[in-house]
Amino acid sequence: MTLEADHADAAALRETNASSAGGAALRHLVINLFNLIILLPLGWVLLMSVKSLPDAMRGDFWPSHFDFTHYAFVFHRIATLPVNLFNSIYVTTGSVLITTFCAVIAGYALVHIKPIGAGLVVTALLVSLYFPVRVVSIISIYETQHWLGLINNTAGLILPYVTLQLAISILIMRSMFQLVPHEMFESARIDGAGHWRALWEIGIPMVRNGLVVIFIVNFVSAWGEYLLCLTLIDDEAKRTMPVVLAAAQGGQGQWAWPNLAAVYVIVVTPGIIAFTLAQRLFFKGLMEGALKG
Amino acid sequence: MAQTIAESEAKLGAGAGGGEAGLLRRGVNEWLFLAPALAFFIGYQVWPIFRVLWLSFTDFQFLSEKPAHWVWLDNYAQALRDPLMWTSLGRAALFTAMFLPGTIILPLLLAILVDRVGSQRLATLYRVILLIPAVIPSTLIFVLWKWMYNYQSGPINHLLVNTFGLFTLQNAPQWLGGTALTLPAIAVMEVWWGLGYHTIFFIAGLAAIPKELPDAARIDGANEWQVFWHVTRPQLAPIMMILVVLRFGSAMAVIDEYLIFGGFNRASPTYTWTIFMYDQAFKLGLWRQGYAAAIGMIGAIAMMCVMAALIWVFRPKG
Repeated sequence: MTLEADHADAAALRETNASSAGGAALRHLVINLFNLIILLPLGWVLLMSVKSLPDAMRGDFWPSHFDFTHYAFVFHRIATLPVNLFNSIYVTTGSVLITTFCAVIAGYALVHIKPIGAGLVVTALLVSLYFPVRVVSIISIYETQHWLGLINNTAGLILPYVTLQLAISILIMRSMFQLVPHEMFESARIDGAGHWRALWEIGIPMVRNGLVVIFIVNFVSAWGEYLLCLTLIDDEAKRTMPVVLAAAQGGQGQWAWPNLAAVYVIVVTPGIIAFTLAQRLFFKGLMEGALKG
Repeated sequence: MAQTIAESEAKLGAGAGGGEAGLLRRGVNEWLFLAPALAFFIGYQVWPIFRVLWLSFTDFQFLSEKPAHWVWLDNYAQALRDPLMWTSLGRAALFTAMFLPGTIILPLLLAILVDRVGSQRLATLYRVILLIPAVIPSTLIFVLWKWMYNYQSGPINHLLVNTFGLFTLQNAPQWLGGTALTLPAIAVMEVWWGLGYHTIFFIAGLAAIPKELPDAARIDGANEWQVFWHVTRPQLAPIMMILVVLRFGSAMAVIDEYLIFGGFNRASPTYTWTIFMYDQAFKLGLWRQGYAAAIGMIGAIAMMCVMAALIWVFRPKG
């Protein structure tokens, strides 16, 4: 390329932020190729869940006959499925709520109360992100849960689940609260509000975007947790969806491929819908502080 | 420090109480907000690590009636003499080497492309699509790909056999289940999973670069590659460092994928140090958790050393 051409390019780039029509088209083509790679497997499962059984056996991408009965079938015929789904729902809800609560008040305390030792806490949280805690701690967590009588207890899973993303959640909330001027809380305190009221009335609205981020991060992590549930729960009916799905021998009996796909869609969809609805707040939250944390 | 003390004294003066009792109450109240988080953090993350460290010096067996004995470094010595320890660490490193480059370079490329999309509406659409895999929980990703890779009915082999005719039903590739293809297959899945999430990471980094910098370089006659190498890349270095170190850590400590795709066959390339530890701790004999703890600690220390080295290599220059 000649020097003049480069000059022209640079000028054009400053004007339109895009080098040329051809370049732009190629750019969109490449991006959409990646998008296709991302969406294709998901589309395939979605189609599988509405394929008739013979179509599922043949394996063609687009079914010749649609069959929407698999969704009803899995709820009526797979006895443990509603139980497993319910287990997943309450364990995830419990973990997400507790983690979010802990992370919000801890993030507030680390920035706006700053007790002695706060720096040490932050360092410990950061180190825990780099150490393979999840893998190594499983030996001792089994012992703890055994001691508490929580082996084979589904609700007992909430305790270790809270810590799955606790450190990162606290660090995210900490960087969110750093964006809120200290004076805002101070003036509320001088007006007679305690820490709780200052946090609830002034803090929460200011860190809303970060709240969306940690909600989603914790939901995703608890909804799909495998290792702890596999290790701590022996009884099929007491397990959560991910362990059941991972163990399902696809293609056989009640787990015929379209049935498995229907279950899969049921389990995956809530997260995707929630994310799509909250994406504006989620991205704002990510940009504001989550990525810095 | 002096400033902090002065500040807190000023705050104390503003508060209603004061005096010794007030100071004590204030100290307790301050920690009250951290207490719930710390209770969980210490109970389920800090304590377990130290407990496992302690166990690694004993001959503790979970199912044994006999009390455990302190055996000093015997577990470590035995593990380090066991060829399986080294093989399993090597397998984890091999997987990391397959996974890490793809999961950094592809998102970087994609981020540069998406960053230049002019239309706000399209840029948002692209970001949403890219992040969809990131909001699918881990195990559900694995279940999806277990199915994609299925020997008989998976769509990948369907494409290879029926559509392209590259293989027959007899010699189609066996992707999962501890074959030589298993680690690359998992690496591809992981790159797919992290693609969008890492791209968003890099987009955030690109957005923070002042637009004058690359433009000035272009005016000075730099081509797009030079602009990337000399302007964009150094600006992205901190983000890249965090990603490389964190992904190195998560790749070395993969366990769920190996449990789901590989099982406990010692000859399988998925039998890494994490599975070795899990096997000893929860599957074999009387659950030799003392020995398993030593395996876990060796694996953790080995990868922490490399991570420290990585941080040192990528340290901000000057």
